Amino acid sequence: MGLKVETLKINGVDKQFPAGLPQTLAQMLKQLGINEATVVAEIDGKIIERQNFAQTKVSNSQSIELIRFAGGG
Amino acid sequence: MDKLIIAGRSFNSRLLVGTGKFASSGLMAEAIARSGTEIVTVALRRVDIENENDDILSAIDRSRYLLLPNTSGARDAEEAVRLAKLARAATGINWVKLEVTPDPYYLLPDPVETLKAAEVLVKDNFVVLPYINADPVLAKKLEDAGVATVMPLASPIGSNQGLKTRAALEIIIEQANVPVVVDAGLGLPSHAADAMEMGADAVLVNTAIATANDPPAMAEAFKLAVEAGRIAYKSGPPAAGRKASASSPLTGFLREDSAEVADAPKLWRRSAASFPAKADE
Repeated sequence: MGLKVETLKINGVDKQFPAGLPQTLAQMLKQLGINEATVVAEIDGKIIERQNFAQTKVSNSQSIELIRFAGGG
Repeated sequence: MDKLIIAGRSFNSRLLVGTGKFASSGLMAEAIARSGTEIVTVALRRVDIENENDDILSAIDRSRYLLLPNTSGARDAEEAVRLAKLARAATGINWVKLEVTPDPYYLLPDPVETLKAAEVLVKDNFVVLPYINADPVLAKKLEDAGVATVMPLASPIGSNQGLKTRAALEIIIEQANVPVVVDAGLGLPSHAADAMEMGADAVLVNTAIATANDPPAMAEAFKLAVEAGRIAYKSGPPAAGRKASASSPLTGFLREDSAEVADAPKLWRRSAASFPAKADE
């Protein structure tokens, strides 16, 4: 194909975005179909506040962690 | 029942409920409601981006229940602090059930890392509720570090073994100046009642409710047991003794002069033959 597949490292795995790499965290969540109100994000070990999701740039050099609540005791 | 006060906040229920292991969110919500609890614990996990699933928070009415995020999965202080901060970022809640369990078989809490993490989190304005082994010295050190409660285990998490740490729990309860929440291993309502009768301020139950055949009914059973245990403790239970102490009067019925308690064995021999057929009327 000759085209480079765009990827982001999310939760330790390389996730492909064939339609093109999202520019911001908010766009990334939207493309993944994840409601941003239900997750916390960490980029390179730094917590990103939810109100900053729309301004936070993402790139494939980063390590992105997406975390949410689950059942627990 | 008197109110439970943790970090200046008061609660009508002395039962904390965990949200793990329920077969469905609906069952969990029903069990939480029947339990009467006002504090529910939740864990933090990585989002599975390939299999989008429901967010557990949508099943918990946060106007009714205080969400208490735990740091389960943390193997050292650093990971626990990270999880606590993530939970705070997610919810705005600064309460955290501190849990550091490096051992996957018994899930016993690491006392050194737990104390280390508690010190960091207290300085960062968290309300810290640490899960600990039933170690009275550790409980005091955590209290000195400024934690809001101590949460000693009854037996290993999810083991349903009941109060295996009884003697140490009694010392912790005797010495604590913060609420003592007995956590982990309570498998039956009677275990919870037992802990409350000993003077525990509250208990946390998850597995015993979530994995019962009928979780909402079991949640109610725990609610009643916790209330009964607390009321019993507050009512001042009498001490246990080795000998009998008659509940019915021994005088004034068969023999005017038969109440020689010091002579009890002889009394029994004499009266055995003369018991009336209908003893109680």
